[in-house]
Parts: sequence; C-alpha cells; structure tokens
Amino acid sequence: MDTKIYLMALLNTYMAKFPSDEWVKLYCDKLNANQKYADAGKNWEGDIVFVVEKDDSLPQDEHIYLDLYHGKCRSAKYIHTGEEVPKSEFSYKGKYGNWRKLMAGQIDPIQGILTGKFRLDGSKMKIMRFTSAAKEMVNTASMVETEF
Amino acid sequence: MWFFRSPRIVFGEDSLSFLSMVESRRFLIVTDRYLSGTDILKKVKTALPTGSETMVFSNIGSEPLLSEITSDMDSIYRFEPEIIIGLGGGSSIDAAKIIYALYEKPGLSAFDITPMDNFGMGSRSRLVAIPTTSGTGSECSWAAVFTDDNEKRKNEVASPEILPDYAILDPDLVLDLPRAQTVNTAVDAITHAVESYVSQWNNLYSDILAEKAISLITPNLLRVISDPHDFSARESVHIGSSMAGLSFSNSQIGLAHALGHAMGAYFGIPHGKTVGLYLPEVVRYNRRKAGPRYDNLNKLFPKKFISSTLDLTLRNYFREIGQPTQIKDIPVQKSDYESKISDMKDLASQSTGILTNPEEADSTALEMLLRSVI
Ligand SMILES: [Fe+2]
Repeated sequence: MDTKIYLMALLNTYMAKFPSDEWVKLYCDKLNANQKYADAGKNWEGDIVFVVEKDDSLPQDEHIYLDLYHGKCRSAKYIHTGEEVPKSEFSYKGKYGNWRKLMAGQIDPIQGILTGKFRLDGSKMKIMRFTSAAKEMVNTASMVETEF
Repeated sequence: MWFFRSPRIVFGEDSLSFLSMVESRRFLIVTDRYLSGTDILKKVKTALPTGSETMVFSNIGSEPLLSEITSDMDSIYRFEPEIIIGLGGGSSIDAAKIIYALYEKPGLSAFDITPMDNFGMGSRSRLVAIPTTSGTGSECSWAAVFTDDNEKRKNEVASPEILPDYAILDPDLVLDLPRAQTVNTAVDAITHAVESYVSQWNNLYSDILAEKAISLITPNLLRVISDPHDFSARESVHIGSSMAGLSFSNSQIGLAHALGHAMGAYFGIPHGKTVGLYLPEVVRYNRRKAGPRYDNLNKLFPKKFISSTLDLTLRNYFREIGQPTQIKDIPVQKSDYESKISDMKDLASQSTGILTNPEEADSTALEMLLRSVI
C-alpha cells in the first residue's frame, strides 16, 4: 500500500468526529486516564451537558451528556437527534465554531464565558471553585484526535 | 476579545473634596469599627455637599462575616442612598460592594454575584471607593471577599457590575497608616503587579500598569518607611498600588495568591504578608514559562536590590522592608504549619489563581511550594 494512504488510514482509526458516539467515548476514556483532571476534579459531583450550537458549519444543535464524579467520568453519552436530552446540573453552550476554537486552545473556557462566546447554566459559584477542573476538561478534549 | 475596565479615578492632594461636587444628597458610608471613631470618617463627612443626609454603617471587622455585612440591610433599604461609599481597607470596600449589589438587587444572595450573569445594577445608586490603605487594589477591582458564616471560609465573588464607579485616591488618608500595615499592603500590591504581568490573561493594558506600579512602589515605599509623612512618596505608593489593582483586575492573579489565601484561611495572617511569603518561590517556579517577562520587571526595582533573577531581587527587597519569606519569621510554628499542608493544598487548588498562573500547578507542585517556606 502507498505509504501516504496507509498513514492516513491508520490516522483515521484514531480520529473521531466531533461530536459523535466515538468522540464521546474517547473523551470519557481520556478523562479517566488524566491524573491532572482526577486531581482537579476530585471533589466535584455533578453532571453536565455540552451544547454544541448550530452555525454555518453545523446544521443542528448537538448535545453531549457527561456524568462526572470525584475526578472520574462515570458515564458519557452522545445524544442522537430525536433523543431526549437528560436533565443535568450544568450546561455549557456555545456555537460549533467556538467549540473548535476552545479545543484548539484559542479560547480559554472561563474567558469564553466572560466574553459571551459560551454560556453556563447552573451554579456559577460552584463552577468558580473548580476552574482548574474546567481547564483540565478542555485540555483533555484537545487530547482526543478530533475530526471536525 | 477582552476588556479593560476601570473606575473613574480622582487622585492627588485634596481629592476628597471631589465629594462636594457630587449632585447627590443621600450618602451611605460603609466603614470599619476602627475608622468610625477617627478623624478620617470626619474628613469624609465634612467633604460631603452641604445639606447631605448621611448614614454610617460601621459593623465591619478585619475579616467580615456575610451576616455582619448584611446586618443592617433593612435600614439601608429604608434610607435609600444615592451614593454608597466604601471607606477603609479592602474589607470595608469589599463590604460596600456587597451592600451595593444587595441594595441594587434586593433578594439577590451575595453568593450569586458572578461574572457570568447580568444583573442590571446601577439604577438606584453609585458606588464610590475611598481606600485608607495602599495595596489591596479593591477600589479598582470587581471582586469582593467575605467570610461565609457556616463554613467560616473566605469566598471571593466577582462581577464587573460591582466595580466602583469612582475611586478617590487621597494621599492624606494614608499618611498615618502604621508601618506594619504600610508594608503588608504594599507587598500585596507588588504581588498583584508581578502576578498580573505574567498571568495567562495579561494584556497590553495590564502590562503597562504593572510595570509602572513596580517602578512607583518599590523606591517610594523605602522613603515612606524612613519618613511616614513624606507626602509625595505616600502619594506614589498609593497611586502605584491602585495601578497594580487595576492591572490584576484586568488580568488575573496567580499562584502566590492561591497559596496566600489558603494560608491566611488557616493562620489568620494579614493577606499581604501571606502572598509575599510565597511570591519569590512562585517566581522561581514559573521561571521556565515567564522568564523574559520577569526580567522586564526585575530591571524596575531600585538598583541596589537587583540580582540576576527576579526571585532573588524580591528576596533582597523583602529583607530590607521586613517582609518574611519563611514561616519562622512570621512567626508560625513549623508543626502547626505542616499539619495544615494538606488542607491548604486543597484550598489553593480551588483558586482561580491556578487557572491563570503561567506554569501549571498540580497537587505535587502546590505541596512543594507550600513546603518551600518552612
Ligand atoms: Fe492581593
């Protein structure tokens, strides 16, 4: 096989489209393998829904549900079209293009809220005590080989 | 995209007289128990426009509980102030911010003040901050600290809406500040400037203010220590400190504050002393990421203290002004300190200072830094 094609095929097996079942599974696994996240989130209890809002590059809103508990990802689910989005303690919403910038490290997760690129629903006071966990969550997302 | 936010600043000799130009007539003065019996409160009252009605709320101690800050809200609602003045050190100004928020939005809980919400404050009153110490930067910041009654822990809340509308920097009000408080608060200001300058959120505005703050504070603090009534030196430290406050409130603080807050919570040591305790070691720890920027600041200290790196320069300077860099000089017992390391580490890890510090700090790093001052 041509080397270039072989490399691309190999790469594809590790790349997951954002958002998708595969991406969410890889993300949850990476969170569980990340000692820094385990450390920063060790007192965290609460589930969160990531809302990826539609824009020019994404035709409809997408949702990811994460159940996070004491520094671990207990379960995670990509919500398919038509499925009900589970009720959660927090939600973090932003346009698809901003999610891409977030994962590329071009937007800081907290600055993203302060500049209106993301919105957070849920107890802000609680989140403010876990800003380093939030940052590790974003760092972890950037570790997933993602295809947009 | 980012913002630069600042109160309108009135500064220099006689700046308190600005109050006489204010159109409003109903003034609430929030101050601490100590200041309420001094000439400083009298000076402020005298500066108000003739015919003004004044209410003084002075139930503020050095580390006020939320229940103390809010103990007279009913009278305040009835008084209907047009101007709320925070007069004093960081605690009084922070208390005024909380009272202002709750007066503007009755029913709001102090815990709900966050930068992620819009409250629409400012329809009933204006907030004026008049610092009587030089260093906390509270007059220029949109954060407020109070102690939670139940958990007895310090909470920091923040919202651009609690940024004072005016800050009045009158050097006359700091001329008689005792030496210990002068040094503690100035060290806090130096720490604000150094941490803001290397914060991950630093920007062109916060940079220039941090640089100017260091070059104003560090030589003039020495003059103030040798002659506390040196008006121009006091003025420079006062203005420099507010620049440092403006710098960090538009950027962020870092690890020295994360560690200092945690230590202060367990040992009741003044804030400036605790942040200064860790600053040299934090600077050394961050050097890999922030080296060239620290070098810029290093050049701004008075020549006789400048060493090859900023952490060493800070140690030289702190030695001269009496700021401890080891717990034995505070003094705190080694065994007491060691027994609290795990708790302090947990508390520090929750600080936003970790998020914006130039170098990442996990729990091992925090423990190493906490142990470095033993
Ligand atoms: Fe401070």
